[in-house]
Amino acid sequence: MSKKTTISASDNMALKLKFLAKEKEAVRRKLVVTAKKLAIKAKALAVTAKEKESVRRRLVVTAKKLAMLYQTLERKVIDRTQDLEQAKAKDEAILSSIGDGVFAIDTKGTLILFNAAASGISGYSKREASGKPFHKVLRFMMEDKPNVASHDFIEQALKGKKAKMANHTILLRKDGTTVPVDDAATPIFGPDKKIIGAVVVFRDVSKECAVDRAKTEFVSLASHQLRSPLTSIRWILSTLKREKLTEEQRTMVSTAHEASIGMAAMIKKMLMISYVEEGGVAPEIVQVDLPRLLDKVSLLHDSHRQKKGVELTVQCPEDLHVRTDEQLLIEILSNLLSNAYKYTPKGGKVSVCATKEGEKIRIAVSDTGCGIPFAEQRKIPGKFFRASNITSPAESGTGIGLYMVYNIARLIGGTISFVSQENKGTTFSLLFPS
Amino acid sequence: MIKQSKQVLIAEDDTFLTNIMGKVFKQHGIRVVLVNNGQEALEALKREVPDVLLLDLLMPVLDGFGVMKAMKEKHVQCPIVVVSNVGDKVTRDKCKAFHVKAYLVKSDMDDDALWPAIEKYLK
Repeated sequence: MSKKTTISASDNMALKLKFLAKEKEAVRRKLVVTAKKLAIKAKALAVTAKEKESVRRRLVVTAKKLAMLYQTLERKVIDRTQDLEQAKAKDEAILSSIGDGVFAIDTKGTLILFNAAASGISGYSKREASGKPFHKVLRFMMEDKPNVASHDFIEQALKGKKAKMANHTILLRKDGTTVPVDDAATPIFGPDKKIIGAVVVFRDVSKECAVDRAKTEFVSLASHQLRSPLTSIRWILSTLKREKLTEEQRTMVSTAHEASIGMAAMIKKMLMISYVEEGGVAPEIVQVDLPRLLDKVSLLHDSHRQKKGVELTVQCPEDLHVRTDEQLLIEILSNLLSNAYKYTPKGGKVSVCATKEGEKIRIAVSDTGCGIPFAEQRKIPGKFFRASNITSPAESGTGIGLYMVYNIARLIGGTISFVSQENKGTTFSLLFPS
Repeated sequence: MIKQSKQVLIAEDDTFLTNIMGKVFKQHGIRVVLVNNGQEALEALKREVPDVLLLDLLMPVLDGFGVMKAMKEKHVQCPIVVVSNVGDKVTRDKCKAFHVKAYLVKSDMDDDALWPAIEKYLK
């Protein structure tokens, strides 16, 4: 029994060992599986590490590149800033060296620029002016209305239109005195073509005004001094012409009388040009009955026309009324007609033709005269221009009439144009608002 | 006193011209008073107000504007026709302010153009 017991004990042990061995085998297997898994993971990790390293390297390169780029950029910014500062200093130097006053405003009228000359003329320093509404600092007025601000030209510029100061504008200075000024305001356009302000240029014109006054006084006096003895000559000759004279005497007196008339007309033209050039002639717009006016005009220089045997025709629609300066219009047509008679040979034809062209009126004065040589046409309307093909000594002229015509046409808002062919004739056209 | 005929007062410092002008009006039966400066013109106006006054502007002692100013102050009314050799716009405008009837530039007309220009004030 005891042996049986011993065997059974050893059997038990063997069983236990067998069991343990089985358990161990299970653990070993699990370990193998885990080890395999770990090996796969380790492999994967090794790949990631490699990748990471490569990314890191790339990052380092990029960072280096960036650093270089940054440096370059910084250098460029410094250079550019210097350039800009230099350019600004240059602009400011230019602005302050400009003899004319210059100031700029934004759309609200705030002063954003005020140069040294603007300070000099107005008496306000740059600091006093900058950032203030311009009308608190600068007061432009009309000479004859010294209590009313006249800032139309600036308002026009802020609306996008370049505008000149009106004639006889004065500026009230800081010390309460005034100074005559002239020039213009121009809009400033931003990159998107929107108006962002206006720049005004103005200059002290006291000297010019004094010279103008002196010139006007001189011209006025000189013309009076010339006209007085001329009146005596003209009136004596005109009286003499009515006396009983021999044929020879009559011719002499008539020639002298006509010369005096020509001289008077010349003085009148010179004076007119002087006033027109000074802007001293302001048109007086009235209602004009054009057919009646042309009737009147057609009688001008009639003795000249008859002497040359030139035929005149006038065409104008009935009831054509225009609003313009009657005297200035007559002056233009009188000159054109006189030239047409002058340069048309005996038996030629001259016509005056008025037509309506939309809101405008065209009056064309045509002749069958000697024409203006093509090469010389560009010289018109030069002062004292005379065409080279005028050889007849009888047709005296000074080349001042046409110059005056162009100037007067401008006064009534009109333009002059012409077409001319040598030995065929010339047509001068006045186109003006009705 | 009954006024006999129309009268024209001519104020002009150039006696030669006043004579020619006087002759023009006398031919048409108009009484003519000739004076050679503004002061004389004012004295003549005191004696009789003419139907038309032909007034030169540049005259010694008292000029044409002096005459017009005095006439305005004293409410002397008669048609004034300026006959001058000054023809600029400023002067013309100054004359307009005195309501002158016409402005004639002497050198731009003949003596016989005077009558047609003045006739209407003498009818």
